[in-house]
Amino acid sequence: MNTLAEETSLPKESESLWGKAWYKFRRDRTGMIALGVVIFFMFIALGVWAGLWGSGWSNVGGDMWAGPSPEHWLGTNIIGQDIYSRAIYSTKTAFEVGMVVAILSTILGGILGALSGYFTNSWVDELILWLMGVLDSIPFYLFVAAIAYALQGYPYSMHIAMIATFWTTTARLVRGEVIKLKNFEFVEAARAIGLPQGKIIFRHIMPNTFHILLVQATIVFVGAIKSEVILSFLGLGVVDGVSWGLMIAESTQEVQAGHYSNFLTASTFLFVLVMAFNMFSDSLQDALDPKKVSA
Amino acid sequence: MSTLLEVKNLKKHFPIKGGFFRHVVGQLKAVDDVSFTIPKGHTFGLVGESGCGKSTLGRAILRLHEPTGGEIRLGGTDITSLNRKELVAHRKDMQIIFQDPYASLSPRRTVMQTLLEPLEIHRIGDAASRKKKVLELLDIVGMRANVLHRYPHEFSGGQRQRIGIARALTLDPKFIVADEAVSALDVSVQSQVLNLIARLQRELHISFLFISHDLAVVQHISHQIGVMYLGKLVEIASSTDLYRKPLHPYTKALLSAIPMPDPDTKSDRTILQGDVPSPLHPPSGCPFRTRCPDAMPVCEEAMPELKNLNENGASHEVACYLY
Amino acid sequence: MTQPLLSVKDLVIEFSTQRGIVRAIDGVTFDIMPGETLGLVGESGCGKSVTSLAILGLIPSPPGRIVSGSIKLEGRELVGLSESDYRHIRGKEISMIFQEPMTALNPVFTIATQMTDVLMRHQGMTRKQARNRAIEMLALVGIPSPQKRIDEYPHQMSGGMRQRVMIGMALSCNPKLLLADEPTTALDVTTQAQVLEQMVKLQDELGTSVVLVTHDLGVVAQSCSRAVVMYAGRIAEESAIQPLFQAPRHPYSEGLLKSIPRIREEKLDELPTIPGTVPDLLHLPAGCRFVDRCYKADAACHQQEPPLEWQNNQAVACYHPNPAAGSNA
Repeated sequence: MNTLAEETSLPKESESLWGKAWYKFRRDRTGMIALGVVIFFMFIALGVWAGLWGSGWSNVGGDMWAGPSPEHWLGTNIIGQDIYSRAIYSTKTAFEVGMVVAILSTILGGILGALSGYFTNSWVDELILWLMGVLDSIPFYLFVAAIAYALQGYPYSMHIAMIATFWTTTARLVRGEVIKLKNFEFVEAARAIGLPQGKIIFRHIMPNTFHILLVQATIVFVGAIKSEVILSFLGLGVVDGVSWGLMIAESTQEVQAGHYSNFLTASTFLFVLVMAFNMFSDSLQDALDPKKVSA
Repeated sequence: MSTLLEVKNLKKHFPIKGGFFRHVVGQLKAVDDVSFTIPKGHTFGLVGESGCGKSTLGRAILRLHEPTGGEIRLGGTDITSLNRKELVAHRKDMQIIFQDPYASLSPRRTVMQTLLEPLEIHRIGDAASRKKKVLELLDIVGMRANVLHRYPHEFSGGQRQRIGIARALTLDPKFIVADEAVSALDVSVQSQVLNLIARLQRELHISFLFISHDLAVVQHISHQIGVMYLGKLVEIASSTDLYRKPLHPYTKALLSAIPMPDPDTKSDRTILQGDVPSPLHPPSGCPFRTRCPDAMPVCEEAMPELKNLNENGASHEVACYLY
Repeated sequence: MTQPLLSVKDLVIEFSTQRGIVRAIDGVTFDIMPGETLGLVGESGCGKSVTSLAILGLIPSPPGRIVSGSIKLEGRELVGLSESDYRHIRGKEISMIFQEPMTALNPVFTIATQMTDVLMRHQGMTRKQARNRAIEMLALVGIPSPQKRIDEYPHQMSGGMRQRVMIGMALSCNPKLLLADEPTTALDVTTQAQVLEQMVKLQDELGTSVVLVTHDLGVVAQSCSRAVVMYAGRIAEESAIQPLFQAPRHPYSEGLLKSIPRIREEKLDELPTIPGTVPDLLHLPAGCRFVDRCYKADAACHQQEPPLEWQNNQAVACYHPNPAAGSNA
């Protein structure tokens, strides 16, 4: 309701749109709790990365299928590896995949989306749209399998496959927003000043799509973690190291034998992180929505 | 009085695509054969109803829309023939102020960033002199220096419009297009901004093309007024003449349609029938003939030429078969 | 004296926002007589639209809340009415036309569907009766060949036509009161003239009371018999049209009237203006809310909010009002 927006006029201190969004986000309790959980997971991942914990994930240090004990908090797996260490180490794997895929596919989607939106009806737009159409029409797992096969032995084939497919959604969203933005008068003003097109796109238009990029990055992050689990389960994913997906894949035999620890641990870690990340993503979207921010 | 801007037979047609193969099926003649001049330091008002092509005309003059035909001369330079690089250099001389103070400023850039940008692009001065210039500009438009690091959403419509005006002034232009620059503002703020524009025009000798649908606003601020209908200029006169002696039937109707803020002058209005025809299918001949109370058979045949009825030295042009 | 059709008394409406509670309407009182056209004038943020939404029971809650006061339609209290009771009033006894004829009509239904729905619901007409009535209304608002145009979709009509349809729709159930919120602001001047003329004519014929919410004093002068000038959530002045335009008593009304550019013979170099901007409702100045922008302000004005005081059918909330019309002649 615009009468309301007008009736509540200006704040007294300087505040950027990001500042306003953060203010809004802080008051969203669900979002803050979810963010806390995500940060906690990230802390675990950073610790693994720094070598503080989880380093013993590959040691075969115990009996097969040992129950929980002070030494092995969550017991051991089929070959006697510590499940707790493996789950902790997998957090790092998950973040690695999530971050790499989210960041790169967002950058790719953001740039290509902005270019295709700004140059609508030109060959640039046609080309990018065609590329998106082609990539979207290939079944995801088939595509990953193909890339994994083509890049045999290369540890990042899964990442490449995900980036190559995940950027299209981001690009479509950005394209739509840019088409809307480029008709705004501030873009015309930039042209009237004599700003080159590149500067118009990257300095004036792109920053106004950052809220989309940020939310989209969190969605892709979750998507990548989930896909990693499925791909690893199918044997197309993590090649060296361990991940929740590999743990779940291992556990198939264990579950048949009545040992649930490996399966439950990996699933719980995955579930909590994905859940928290989704909730964080929703709250972020609410906080960043320009229509709501301006009110 | 030297001429600053000369517009000759300017045309802007938009191709209409349709059909399965998206081929061109027609032309929307948004601006059709428009000619006028603006002397240095004068304000030329352009009035007309929505869809008459007045905004397109303003943008075509600045080559924000590429004109389809005709010539634009600004201070002797033929703007239409400039290539992209030369055009950028000439953008210094011509600027624009927009209607919507909410859409015309980059939402994620501070006032400082917005105002510095034109100077940086055209490599004018060093950091210190640029900053000085920005502060001067803020002073000119009546804002204080403490707004520099604020974002557009923190300002009211009137304040944003002042920032937009300051941006247009950064490059010391000779010519500014003001496209409905006060239409979105409240009455009390509108008068402040109008006074600001009038002052700039007097003190900095900037020529303005002042585009508005509001005849009273245009009449107040302009030296000369052009009345536009469906892409064509139908009357050009000095602002006092246009009020005293409107010639074109459309101008008369526009004048009488203005609700006067005076309950005693419930003027005997000539209320026009019908609506503005679609610019996609304009009537043959004079575009106004379908709503004109004085339409004659000849009006269907061809568009009347603008005819100068020079009266006591003042030029008064009208495109109508009545004269 | 006749009873007022609608009387608004000491209305206070607040909105809770991020930055705190904003009092959008602060003690507004006015009456609408049967058959009159009342102008509700002011700049954006003065509370004119909120007032009209409150009359229709359409204040979004939360964040909005009617804190106190009453709105009575022929003696019946509307504040606190349940949503289902309000639905019987809206469209039937009070109807509204909005600023944007584009968005106020549903693009996927024909005019006929949208108009007959209302009539069938409120008047219990059959489809056939409703259709005839709708055609009658379209003719009344000056739509050419209404039998044909009634089956068109909104996008097939021009802005002016759509606004006429809105007026026809709003009046089809013979409401006692029509709220028109900036009904002609989105229209071109020549179309605005047509629509306003039509509204005035219809109002004479049907005797409906109209509240015209607008920022355009020209529109008020041409079509209202009385006007309420609002400023920052309060009434600054209330008066019959003639005295308001001849001798505005509140310095704000005076400033507003002077600052409108008019068509005149001799050109002014400077338009008179009101300095400054409308205050933030969260940080109102002490005393009179117009005090920072008023050329007459003195110590008293900083002390306390001036009450609205009546004198010969002209009310003004000011410690130093201009003399009433005729008093110095």
